This record gives sequence, structure tokens and C-alpha cells, in this order.
Amino acid sequence: MKRSVLALFLIGVLAFSVVASGCIGGEKTTTPTQTPSSPATSSPAQTTTEEKPKLKGAIAVVYDIGGRGDLSFNDMAYMGASKAAKDFGLELKEVQSKSESDYLPNLRLLAQSGKYDLIIAVGFMMTDAVKQVADEFPNQKFAIVDGFIPDKPNVVSILFKENEGSALAGALAGLIAANDGKDKVGIVLGIEIPVLYKFEGGYRFGIKWAEDYYKKKTGKDVNIEVLYTYTGSFTDPAKGKTAAQAQLGQGAWVIYQVAGAVGLGVFDAVSEYLKSQGKEMGPPFAIGVDSAQDWIKPGVIIASMMKRVDVGVYKAVEMVVKGKWKGGIMELGLADGGVGLSTIDDVKAMFNSLPEDVKKKKLEELGLKSEDELFAKLEQTRKQVPDWIWQAVDELKQKIISGEIVVPKAFNKEQIEAIRNAKTWQEMEELAKKWEKSS
Amino acid sequence: MKADKLSNIMKPLLESLIAIIIGVVIGAVVLKVSGYSPVEAYAALVKGAVGSIYGWSMTLSSATPIILTGLTFAISARTGIFNIGAEGTVYFGAIAAIVFTNMFANPVLGLIGGIIAGILWALPAALLKVYRGVHEVISTIMLNWIAFYTALYLVLGPLANPNDPNKTLEVPASARLPLLMKGSELSLAFIIAIVAAVITYYILWHTVLGFELRASGYNERAAQYGGINPKRAIIWSFVIGGIMSGLAGATEVMGRPPSYAISQGMANIYGYGFDGIGVSLVGRNHPIGIIFSGIFFGALKAGATYMQIDAGVPLEMVKVVQGIIVVAVAVPGLWDLVKKVVRR
Repeated sequence: MKRSVLALFLIGVLAFSVVASGCIGGEKTTTPTQTPSSPATSSPAQTTTEEKPKLKGAIAVVYDIGGRGDLSFNDMAYMGASKAAKDFGLELKEVQSKSESDYLPNLRLLAQSGKYDLIIAVGFMMTDAVKQVADEFPNQKFAIVDGFIPDKPNVVSILFKENEGSALAGALAGLIAANDGKDKVGIVLGIEIPVLYKFEGGYRFGIKWAEDYYKKKTGKDVNIEVLYTYTGSFTDPAKGKTAAQAQLGQGAWVIYQVAGAVGLGVFDAVSEYLKSQGKEMGPPFAIGVDSAQDWIKPGVIIASMMKRVDVGVYKAVEMVVKGKWKGGIMELGLADGGVGLSTIDDVKAMFNSLPEDVKKKKLEELGLKSEDELFAKLEQTRKQVPDWIWQAVDELKQKIISGEIVVPKAFNKEQIEAIRNAKTWQEMEELAKKWEKSS
Repeated sequence: MKADKLSNIMKPLLESLIAIIIGVVIGAVVLKVSGYSPVEAYAALVKGAVGSIYGWSMTLSSATPIILTGLTFAISARTGIFNIGAEGTVYFGAIAAIVFTNMFANPVLGLIGGIIAGILWALPAALLKVYRGVHEVISTIMLNWIAFYTALYLVLGPLANPNDPNKTLEVPASARLPLLMKGSELSLAFIIAIVAAVITYYILWHTVLGFELRASGYNERAAQYGGINPKRAIIWSFVIGGIMSGLAGATEVMGRPPSYAISQGMANIYGYGFDGIGVSLVGRNHPIGIIFSGIFFGALKAGATYMQIDAGVPLEMVKVVQGIIVVAVAVPGLWDLVKKVVRR
């Protein structure tokens, strides 16, 4: 009897491991991939626009292990690439990566075939692989999203000024809290890596700016404390939930998530908190990240700090097609539309890019009848925040774009500590200018 | 006697072949139903895996770590132990290799570092099993998680690369395993894996220790009655298994371009331990069988890229089809193991 129980258990473990061994790397569930449906009908036809477009008529995208259906990075890269393919009449080849050791062969095989005008690698994890393959195939053009490869003529690195976008998130959070007489806001992050310091630093800058703005407007002194948690994961929503619950318990009024899938737990925590208060809409609010995530939990997510990977990818393809290729860094900030706070239109575009069945399921889950109802609810969510706050955030945006205000960009522990200790946004701006000079 | 031995080899071989065919056929049906051409897809799979020299290099380099972790599982299975701790051991093997090569800049010492780490991390489960009767399935599962988070801490903290936030310190150029072919990922690591498999075979069937391992695997009590110390056998099986997985981790960071380091989320050394269980089952827990099944798994992996690029089959579909093939192929080995466990 006992033995058979053990045997059964073993079978279970085995069956699991066998199945798992077949699909390691596929932790994220992916919505059914739409195969690229843009046939290369008229690729060589429209080559009259610019001078030297000896195009092969195809581009390729290599996704990282997150893969399509992540509602974030990879999906946005697809959005940009498919739009570019359509606009410029190119064929689009998509290649997913099962594990990290696939990056190099994926890139190499594409480069070997010599069929592609541009190979786009999505994600910083491919940095080393792109470097190597770029050296092996000097005539092949590459673009890498979020990877830093400054010195190769055939590679363009698409980077984003997340600090600028996060400053807007911070200003929004800070003003909402101040306006409601609260003195704490939160930020939940993933694994503590230097990239995230850019987000945290920008957020803190925005909050300090908000304090100053609020004082000028109302004459009232506010001092907003930032609760921050590095969860040590990008994939475990339970960690995000715990972290957000703790922050809410301490009185955080807005929580910004910078943690990939962990952030879904942050949204859950805020949503449950609202329910326990008998409220359908915040505050407290959450702020989404990377893509316009507002639709995931209308009423809970006030806005999202978007990283427009699609814009970056599109620009890279455009450079190739128009014969204006230039290797090196392409850093997109507020001014280029590379980062920014989501508007209702952004959310609509994001939602509409989802597969039909996913949309339907989401609407059912939210108990809404139509998309219009969802968008109406999103509008209503935004109305929970007074207009002057939105205008203030826009004012900050314009000032950053014009260069009047410089947002600090923290790259390492020392720099983020300096920002954490700064008392005013002007002090942070001094730091920003100092770092810019030294780099 | 001779005919008997031949049929001993032929029977599992035949079973595996039939299983592969069944898996491929079911996979073809799934492909067809989903609107892809099975012929095109399989042609791309074969072409990608073995259709060119580069394809072969990908296949063999993908096979390397899972042959080693497969050996870990096999040697313990032969001893009647269900050791699924290879996963955690791989992490420490890789970490030790990075530490040792950065201290000594010597490939041999890097490999030795991996071996030592493998032995040390295998011991807790072994000792718990022998002296406290803790079931190895439980202890190794738990230890895998301890290993994961400890390794993650080391990767993000003390070993983090000051010049590149996305990975650990690199294995210095002088301590890397040489590539067997330029412009590929196939390094000396593959040869090491093959040698390790042959040594494991030799130990199991041509030494006293091997006899003791197998005897206590067949029947612990009878082995004890026959003068064999099963505790000793169990500890040895864990230790040898630890050596193999430690090597898997070490060779992976010392031999695989481009990064020669552990990436931030450890995704480049994750999963080999679990893959090894499948490899071992398909190889019928036999070291030589594991070489071939490891190459088979490697070929599936290498072919996946081509299935996407050439046949336009999305990766999810590739995974489904490959999963079906793997499950079908593992069934005979699984069945043997289940019979054995139930009989005991």
C-alpha cells in the first residue's frame, strides 16, 4: 500500500520533470502567436524615395525568452516591427528563443542566411551574442533593444531615458498623495540591478518636484516619503503582492511598479485594498510600467510609464530603409516619444493590439460588455485625479523636453544613494549635471 | 548467453525507435491540425540539427550539459536512488568555476573547482539519506531551491561584474575551454562529457564499487546480506553524481560563447538538471545510451531554431511537438523504472 503511494508520487514527479524538460524556458504562458501576416508583395517597387536603398526586402526579430505574448517588451517590439514591415513593404521573420543559449545560434543563422536588411534583438540579455555575431558578419546590420553596444558601425543600440518617464510618474504620484493629505508613496521593483536605479532615481526626482510644485500652489509644506522595495524577482507576482501590501499597510498612497510580471501582484494588492475599503476606484492607485498597462485593472491603475520599444524598433528600420543608417547609441527620451505617461489613446492602441480572444476574456473578467465600456471606465479612473494635477505633470514634461529641467540618471549604487539622500529636486538636478559632465 | 546479451541491447533500442516514430507521428498530426506542414517542419528540424556542420556543432554543444546531468540521474538510479538534485549542483559547479578561474586563470583548476563544488553540494542529501533516512526526493527538491537562491545572491552580489551589470565576472580568456570549431559553440566541453560518460560506464560495470552500487540498487537488503555496505554505495552514488553535475555547470560557463559568465537571472544555466532526468530516462539510465539520448535532445534543441526560421512554425508549436516526442520516447524508460519501484 505504502509502496504504491510512493510509486505514484514518483510517477508524478517523473512525468512532471519529463514534461518540464520538454519545455524549459517557457514559464510565461503565451497567447497564441499570430504568424506574421504581411506578405512581401511589393518590396522592390517603392524604392524611389531615397538614394541608395539596395534592400533585400526582409527584417528579422529575435525575441528573448519572455517571448511573444508578454504584453510588454517583446509584444511592443513586434508592434514596431510589423508596422515598419507594413509601411516599408518588408517581410517580417520572427524567431523566439527557448533559452539563453539560443540567442547566439538564432542570430547567427539569420545573419548567415544573408536575407535580412536588419536583425533586431529584443532585450539586453542578447548583448554579448549581438556583439559577437556583429563581428563575425560586419556587413549585416543589427539593432538591439536595451543593450549597450556603443562602438560597432553595424549595430545600433536602442536605449530609453526611463529616468525622464519615471519623473512624470513620480510627479503624478507625489501630487496625488499631497492633494489627499498623505505623506507616503511607494515603488516596487524587480531584482536590484543598475538599470532599475534609473527608474527609482527618476521617480524620486518627480516626487521632490511635486512637493515643490504643491508648496508653490497651495503654500503648504509637504514631505513625502518614498517606500521602496526590491523584490528580487521579475517573474513572481506573489512577491509583488506582498511588497505592495506592506507598503499599503504603511500608508503608501500611490505605488509605481517596475518589476515585470511581479507588478501584476502589485495591481492585485492595490485592487484588493480598494475592495476592502468598499471602493471601486482609487486612490490609492498603482502606476504601470513598460507598456500602457491601464487596461489590466481599470480603476486601479492611474497611468503607466511607457517605454516605447515599438517607436525605437520602427526608427531603426526606418534608418535602414531610408539609407540613413548610423551605428551606435540611439537614446530615446520624452522629446522623441520614446518614453512617457500613457494616455487613453495609448491604452486603446495597446488593448486593440491584443488577440481577439484575449480581449474578450479580459472584458468578461472585468464584467464589462464592450470595449467602449472599458474605455469609459478608464476615463472615469483618470477623473478621480483633479485636472490641475494632470496639467502639472504635463508642465514638467514640457520642461524636460525643452531641457529646462534635467532629470538625474543613476547608474550605480553610489549615485542612487546620492539621489536618495538629496533633499530637493534642485539638488538632484545638480547631481545630474555633475554626472553628465564626468561621463 | 551471447544472443541474450544482444537482445538485451536490441530490445530497448527497438522500443526507443518505435517510441520516436510514434512521437513523430503524433507531432505531425498536431502540426497538420494547427495548419503547418509537418513535412516542411520536420525537414527544417533535421536540416537545422544535422544538415550542416554548424547544425552538428549546435546539436553537440546543446547535448554537452545534459549528458552530464543525465549521468547524475543515471548513476543514482542504478543505485536505487532518485536524485533530482542535479539542478542545484549545476549552479554551484558554474559558480565555483567562475571563482576558481578568476583566482588561478587555469582551465584545469576551473574544472576541479566545479568538481569540488559538485561533491560538496551532493553530500547534504546523501548524508541526510544515509544517517537520518530523509527521502532523497524531498531533500534534493528542497536543496535545489536553497541552491537557487544562494547562487542568485552570489551572482547578483559578490560575483557581479563591475563592467557589465547583466552578468557575473567572466571566465578569463586563458581559462576558457578551446572551441573545437571556429565560429561555433562546440568546445572541448563535449569531449569532457563523452569521457565522463565512458568513465561512468567503466565504474558501473568494471569495478567493485560499481558492482556494489548496482547490487544495492537492485535490492538493498540482499546487497547488505551479501556483505555490501549500502550506505557507502549511496554516498558514492551521490558523490559521483555531484561530480558530473558540477562539471556540467563548470563546462557550461567555461566553454560556451559568447558570455563565459552566469547571466543575471541565471537563465543560461537553468534547467539542465531537469533536462538531465529526461535524457537519462530516454538513455535507459545507461551511460552510453545517455550519450546518444543527449545528442538526440541536443538535436531537438538545435532544430528548433530552424523550424522557426525555415518552416515558420512558432516556438510554442515547436515546443509542443518536441514535448510530445520526448514524452513518447521517455515512456519505455519510465515504464521500466515504475515497474522496478512498484516491485520493491
